[in-house]
Amino acid sequence: MRIQILILMTMINFNSQGQNTKKNMSGELSGINDNQKVTVVNFTKLETIINKKDNKLYVINFWATWCSPCVMELPDFMEVNKIYHNNPKFKMILVSLDLAKEAETIVQPFLVKNKMNVEVYLLDDNKRMNQWIPAIDSKWSGAIPATVFYRNGIKLDFKESKMEKSELIEIINKNL
Amino acid sequence: MKNIGINLSLIILLALSCQIKAQKMDNMSEHKGYKVGDIATGFKLKNVDNKMVSLSDYKEAKGFIVIFTCNHCPYAKAYENRIIGLNHKYASKGYPVIAINPNDPKVEPQDSFEGMQQRAKDKSFTFPYLFDEGQTIYPQYGATRTPHVFVLQKTNGKNIVRYIGAIDDNYADPNDVSHKYVEDAVDALLSGKPVVQATTVAIGCSIKAQKD
Repeated sequence: MRIQILILMTMINFNSQGQNTKKNMSGELSGINDNQKVTVVNFTKLETIINKKDNKLYVINFWATWCSPCVMELPDFMEVNKIYHNNPKFKMILVSLDLAKEAETIVQPFLVKNKMNVEVYLLDDNKRMNQWIPAIDSKWSGAIPATVFYRNGIKLDFKESKMEKSELIEIINKNL
Repeated sequence: MKNIGINLSLIILLALSCQIKAQKMDNMSEHKGYKVGDIATGFKLKNVDNKMVSLSDYKEAKGFIVIFTCNHCPYAKAYENRIIGLNHKYASKGYPVIAINPNDPKVEPQDSFEGMQQRAKDKSFTFPYLFDEGQTIYPQYGATRTPHVFVLQKTNGKNIVRYIGAIDDNYADPNDVSHKYVEDAVDALLSGKPVVQATTVAIGCSIKAQKD
């Protein structure tokens, strides 16, 4: 199955290279496999990743492969990441809330299938939800998708709902 | 017990520090709905057996475990057996489970009334599984996700909200649960004590509604 997907992707990539050679020549074929790993972390580790004091705007999206509104908004997030990812002051991170045992069997194939070139962590800290959810935002009831915006460990905005692309870009531009 | 105390103070501290920052943000995301201590509204909703069910039908009940849940959500499914267990343990003690599907089947077809009937049959639900037709009840409660629990206590004929949150602290593994939040709340109410941990949060599936 995976091999089939890879072959299909390669074909699609060759096709798009024909039309858009400069853009795709350098990166996507190798980049896809390099970046589409899922790192399983607990919240203590995740905090150090999203609260880095490096002057970057962190756009952190909490999602899961089984969450249909999450999956619906992901293509917009990927497009927005493409627009901004070269900006040294911008970083997008996806935090999957799938089960840790499904990191390699479900989450990673999902990333490959959907060509998601973005940093992805799987937050494996079920028993401390009641601590880390309010730590992310005191108003977060726990519904996903949810997106939080940080810089230098300071929260700039928080949305507990599916976001429109225009809304996402607006918040990024406001804070970048 | 000590752990709960530490957890609570941590949460309060975190909540306070977050709130200071949050005040600067626009408050569009602020949740409406009940807080602990509020009077919960009654309702009359259609059960999977096509009969209407209302809280006022339960003359003998001391309270209710109202659970917004649904057919499709993996978190809700993970908790199904525990929801059945809650009703089994507490209905006879005066706290029956009342399950409500708040989702709009136009947005999530698996959560149709027929789907509910099938689910109730497959899992042999012993409690009502009601359909929030027109989605009028869940916004009043302030439910945002499935599963989302509201424990109500009958007090002078009114249903007072005593607990809002998750069923326990481990959706993924029922054998590795440290805090049974709902059971702790109902046990406290049954023994005439205040609920120690009256609100919790957990990840769940957002309630599906069509955008305005």
